Amino acid sequence: MQSTQMQALSGKELEYIADSISNEDLLIKQLAATAGTTQNSTVHQICVQQIQSHSHHMSTLIQLLQQHQQYAPTQPQ
Amino acid sequence: MYAQNGSAFMADEDLLYTVLADLKRTVREYTTAATESNCQAVRRVFNDLTMDTLRLQGELYTQMSQMNMYTPPGKALRQDLDKQIQTAQQTQQKCQQFVQQKIGGAGNYTQAANVPLHQANVHSQNPYYM
Repeated sequence: MQSTQMQALSGKELEYIADSISNEDLLIKQLAATAGTTQNSTVHQICVQQIQSHSHHMSTLIQLLQQHQQYAPTQPQ
Repeated sequence: MYAQNGSAFMADEDLLYTVLADLKRTVREYTTAATESNCQAVRRVFNDLTMDTLRLQGELYTQMSQMNMYTPPGKALRQDLDKQIQTAQQTQQKCQQFVQQKIGGAGNYTQAANVPLHQANVHSQNPYYM
């Protein structure tokens, strides 16, 4: 662990964030597809609630990328 | 109701099971990402997302159980439990002896009876230590 200061993302961190965004995207789509086909109101409600949480996760991950944008070097170091 | 057409693409049960499986995988990936983070801000986000995804997975599992969509796992037998307790107590005793040999009896090392020791598989080949 390094200092608490904001710093440039490592290549690995960037890959994990990108993979996580894909995971959240897949979860949201699966939940939306389930909500769209179910005839059970409980299942529909569960899906809608989960979609809200995962959409929030995706926004958090995108914000994380944006927060580190200014620290990223423009040339390989 | 909520269906857009007469026949569902897959049963609700199967669809939710797929989501549950993906939630489990996502929790694991967030945990791995947290352990491999260099930047504290990134680690904090992965840590928070691990906890929140774990909560969502637990909630979905409970809701599926309540709708009888998930068969609970079979119960462990008493004799298997007895055997594991005996083995674990021996392991704990040997571990304490090892620690005492290495750091001396003067230390305050105590192992609370209800605190589990580290599991052996925690030390399996993990190539991800930073």
